[in-house]
Amino acid sequence: MRMFYRILAYILAAEVVVQAGAMALAIAGLGTWVDDGGVFDSAVMQSDELAFPEVVGFIVHGINGSIVVPVIALVFSFFARVPGGVKWAAAVFGLVLVQVTLGFIGHGIPFAGGLHGMNALALFAAALHAARRARVTTSADTAAPASVAAPV
Amino acid sequence: MAPTRTRRVRLAVASGAAMAVLAPIAWFWQDSLLPDAYSAMEHGYADTGGGHAVHSGHGRDVTTLTADPGRPADVSVRLTARRERFRLASGRAVDGYTLNGTSPGPTIRATVGQLVEVRLANDNVADGVTLHWHGVDVPNAADGVAGVTQDAVAAGREHTYRFVADRAGTFWYHSHQVSHEQVAKGLFGALLVDPAPSAAADVDVVALTHLYPGARTIGGREGDVPVEAAPGARARVRIVNTDNGPTQAWVAGAEFRVVAIDGADVNAPTPVRDLAVPVTSGGRADLAVTMPADGAPVRIHIGGPTGIVLGQRTHTITPLPRPAATLDPLGYGSPAPLGFDPTAATRRFRYDIGRRPGFLDGRPGYWWTVNGHAYPDLPMFTVAEGDVVRMRISNHSGEVHPMHLHGHHFVVLARDGKPATGSPWWVDSLNVADGEEYDVAFVADNPGIWMDHCHNLPHAAEGLVVHLTYVNVTTPFRIGGTAANEPE
Repeated sequence: MRMFYRILAYILAAEVVVQAGAMALAIAGLGTWVDDGGVFDSAVMQSDELAFPEVVGFIVHGINGSIVVPVIALVFSFFARVPGGVKWAAAVFGLVLVQVTLGFIGHGIPFAGGLHGMNALALFAAALHAARRARVTTSADTAAPASVAAPV
Repeated sequence: MAPTRTRRVRLAVASGAAMAVLAPIAWFWQDSLLPDAYSAMEHGYADTGGGHAVHSGHGRDVTTLTADPGRPADVSVRLTARRERFRLASGRAVDGYTLNGTSPGPTIRATVGQLVEVRLANDNVADGVTLHWHGVDVPNAADGVAGVTQDAVAAGREHTYRFVADRAGTFWYHSHQVSHEQVAKGLFGALLVDPAPSAAADVDVVALTHLYPGARTIGGREGDVPVEAAPGARARVRIVNTDNGPTQAWVAGAEFRVVAIDGADVNAPTPVRDLAVPVTSGGRADLAVTMPADGAPVRIHIGGPTGIVLGQRTHTITPLPRPAATLDPLGYGSPAPLGFDPTAATRRFRYDIGRRPGFLDGRPGYWWTVNGHAYPDLPMFTVAEGDVVRMRISNHSGEVHPMHLHGHHFVVLARDGKPATGSPWWVDSLNVADGEEYDVAFVADNPGIWMDHCHNLPHAAEGLVVHLTYVNVTTPFRIGGTAANEPE
């Protein structure tokens, strides 16, 4: 269980990396396409058309953003007996909800899109932290939380 | 003993917590699943808008709501739909759909008052096809919505549409079966209805703007489309937006007038320049220009990459960036009688578009809502023939929605509380931007079951579809089922 928890947390951190990379790829591709004479307007934006190859970045971002890993991670946390596991899984879950909400609000209010980018880093840090908490494997792990076992 | 009990308690608490998270999700998921076949009449809830919903039980079947069956056709057209690889007028090869071997399909032309009869044959389109007459207030049986007014026409089958062209103007037709795919890939064309005594322009151009896979086009041509126009000639350019997003048109080289919107003449349109004209998805705008006497060309920019260039000796003209200011139909032209009194409304509806996370037929996502409800639990706007209907359309969903009501034109009374001051602004496709609120009105004078949906067709496929239904009208058709009807 603890191993699953750890893997799921790392997957979530990796997803943030993929999301950031996908957007940067797509925006770079868009810039190149426009420089080459392409016109990006509502007709292109609202179509399923692959106007330039890097559009795949937007598609990956959209699909990846709706994957339900955080729910699974939260459920595993109930069983995993990781010190502070539920708390950090809940934090990650909450940050994902905020992230998705900001992403959609950003369609109408660009400022929310900016916060979406910043919150991504908070989510990344929380997921990594959750993963590292699950790394402790001492014989006393059922009795002593990690913070007590830490060197003084 | 104690550690075992502790472990049991802990397991029980963990299981309980897991259930608390998973059970609601599972319940919402199963609750969203759609049956294999269902009637547009069955889902959602009736919204009577403050009027009576008198269902006497003597229902009128939509198939009986037809044009006079004894009247011979004035204009007869046969259209054959094919799925194939074809060439656009620009020469580019596209994998898509054609009507009579071309896309856009043939332009159908009629004079107001004529009876138009179109026989649609499906050669090989496996999903089936239909034709919807966008903007024409046809009898309900001819509306072409798969699963509501007919079954999709299967490969090898035929279907005949009959309707009277009730008003002069610019219209278009397109498939309303798997429309988000079939329209994008070419199953559409123009329908022009001329006024009775022909006050025709010297030059009359149809500009069907469309994004095919890999090509931005006007009538299948890419880039600037040159059109012959002599100095001093009066030209009318009929812009039809067949894409999913709103577009803009503007004019370089002459002043222009917007003489019609969505097939309805603008009253006393004044000449303007340096303004962009918004044309929402599914909408039309007819622009009139008089060619300069010195023989200089005129460019009608449509969207970013395409345009019509009118001229004779030369079609070379410097592109003009999109003007910052936009023509607002709310205050364009001069007021005129509406023909009915919107203050005497007998039904009042609100159509409030939002968005929220949840499931749609089992798929997780962030889905559209109407009045706080998600598909299929949407309002069914219920009216009786002769009602004066008011509707307040508002949008809090974060994205623009081009709202299209079948079978009726409605008039815009106000936007964000600001009353209309110009020509009566009649539309069948209204651009409702995020945060906007429109007050509109119409007379319920065309019995049937009519879609009232977002014409960004993928949005419609995501459930942004409600129906306007007349009391005592019923449909034998079903969405899904053996005909595999899938209107969006």
